[in-house]
Amino acid sequence: MSTIARDPLGTGRVPVAPGLSMFDPMFVGIDEFGEHVMLDVVYHNLLIAGEPGGGKSGLVNLAAGTSALADNTRLVLFDAKWVELGAYIDVADEFIGDEIDKAISVLRRLLTVAHNRYRWILSQRRRKVRREDLLSTIVTIIDELAMFTTVLGTPEQQKEFEQLLRGLVSLGRACGMPVIAATQRTSWDIIPASLRDLFGYRCAFHCTTNGSSDVILGDGHADMGYDASKINPDNPGEALLRAGKRAPYLIKAAYLSDEQIYNIADYAAWMRRPSGITTPAPPITTAWEMAA
Amino acid sequence: MSKSTRGFGFGRRPGTVTVIEQKVLRSSARNARMAFIITALIVGILALTVASDRMHPILAGLLALPIAFVAGLFIWTLVRIWPVLRMLWWWTPEIGAAMALVYGWIALANATSTLVTFAVLVPLVGIPAVVPVIRRRVIALVWCFIVRHRLRVCFSQFIIANKSGSLPLILWARPTPVGERVWVYLRPGLSLKKLQDRLDEIAVTCHADSALVELASNSGKAAYLRFDIKRREVLTAKVSSPLPDVIDIDGMPFAYTPPTDVPAALDLPDVPAESPVATAAKSATSTNGKKPANAKPAPAADTNDFDPWD
Repeated sequence: MSTIARDPLGTGRVPVAPGLSMFDPMFVGIDEFGEHVMLDVVYHNLLIAGEPGGGKSGLVNLAAGTSALADNTRLVLFDAKWVELGAYIDVADEFIGDEIDKAISVLRRLLTVAHNRYRWILSQRRRKVRREDLLSTIVTIIDELAMFTTVLGTPEQQKEFEQLLRGLVSLGRACGMPVIAATQRTSWDIIPASLRDLFGYRCAFHCTTNGSSDVILGDGHADMGYDASKINPDNPGEALLRAGKRAPYLIKAAYLSDEQIYNIADYAAWMRRPSGITTPAPPITTAWEMAA
Repeated sequence: MSKSTRGFGFGRRPGTVTVIEQKVLRSSARNARMAFIITALIVGILALTVASDRMHPILAGLLALPIAFVAGLFIWTLVRIWPVLRMLWWWTPEIGAAMALVYGWIALANATSTLVTFAVLVPLVGIPAVVPVIRRRVIALVWCFIVRHRLRVCFSQFIIANKSGSLPLILWARPTPVGERVWVYLRPGLSLKKLQDRLDEIAVTCHADSALVELASNSGKAAYLRFDIKRREVLTAKVSSPLPDVIDIDGMPFAYTPPTDVPAALDLPDVPAESPVATAAKSATSTNGKKPANAKPAPAADTNDFDPWD
């Protein structure tokens, strides 16, 4: 489904919005039976964890690419490494590299928006935002959560970041502001149970121990046979996904090459101008039409 | 189906093949007897009631007796041959396909010359055999039929449901990228948990790598299950995203302009070493705000010039 508009450069018709919406289920890969795995991210949040090389960044980029191409969606990206989400720097409303002050400031703004949205939802006599409300979906993606909670800034700043993030994760799911967070350090000091349980979807790539697998999937899951440390480390992209009430199941996350990521990001950047949000380009008013 | 000698029939006589298990046979005989009695009784009473309206009750009784006997006998026969009817029902697709093949071949051979017969048959058989997509599809469909029979073997041979030996209803099956998916409706005596404990044996019986069973829907029907028979591994395959397909980069007037503020110091010698004083000052205030763990307070300035070694 594409929205076709006139090309501003006059070189024919080009698609300006692929018709994706963050309210539609997001394709993330296949399960062990080859069936598509689709996630309803807006209302659930997504936590991704696993050791380096497990395929985390593939899933993070898939989420970022989908969000970038989705209609009426804003991106807020946290990437202390710069290169994982850096392709979307022109698309994102806010891009935070390794600046903890800016990170805290942006989180405060997001929380204010969340509070305001809830006041608005209350005025509409409802409990959550819907697609028909035409409010923008603000997707916050954090790559390497541990950098912001244990490395950058002072302990006070790290604590404040964690506190604000906890607030955004708990508030964002019903007001169209989902959070997708990834980390390679699967330990309790990075992801305490109180924060983990706020994420409706949890995806564990290969972990080094069954304890770190439990940090993501939930206590006692390794003993029940759902152990991400048993995932083949030579098969990047394979992960255990816990989604909803269903028991964790194996998936293979879809992969995007660097070229594909930059193509998507460039296309999204061009598609989103000049408003920064996905809207069809306005029709060209030619000199003849102006004269008329 | 356990014994395999000569002949074909139901009995236990030597020289026959037992197509119905003894337990099922006894159950069938008992059920047929009960069905005969109940049918004869109901039909007899009904016939007597209707006939007595037109004739004397004794004559009506004499008329109702043979009617009841015939009706009971009909039902008795149906119940008695039910195991065979059921088996025919299970094999209906295969019987249908075999008959279509035989009769189709005969009709084609009779209606056309040998050359035309082969001209029709060669593409009919050759194209599915040569084109990989069609071949895989046909093989997957054949496996769907096979796996339904193999599951039935599981239930009849080693997953005993109840005393009467009734089997679960094996519903439809469809191919998946890794094997087959079969829907089953359980009869009394079985449960999801019991089947989960027998998955290894089910996989062996179905000639599969592994098998999985779970509730077919979230509707809360504990008897409605779904078997996933796994023959191939898909998690090692590379999965592509559909996102690159929804963009059109050919018509995109976008030119990449590298940023101008890219750092030039890309090697260690390009970054000058800091002076010891600056390093100490930096570590005292630390970029992350933490004090060094082994930081000790600076010794107090000696103001009285007292030296005990003097």
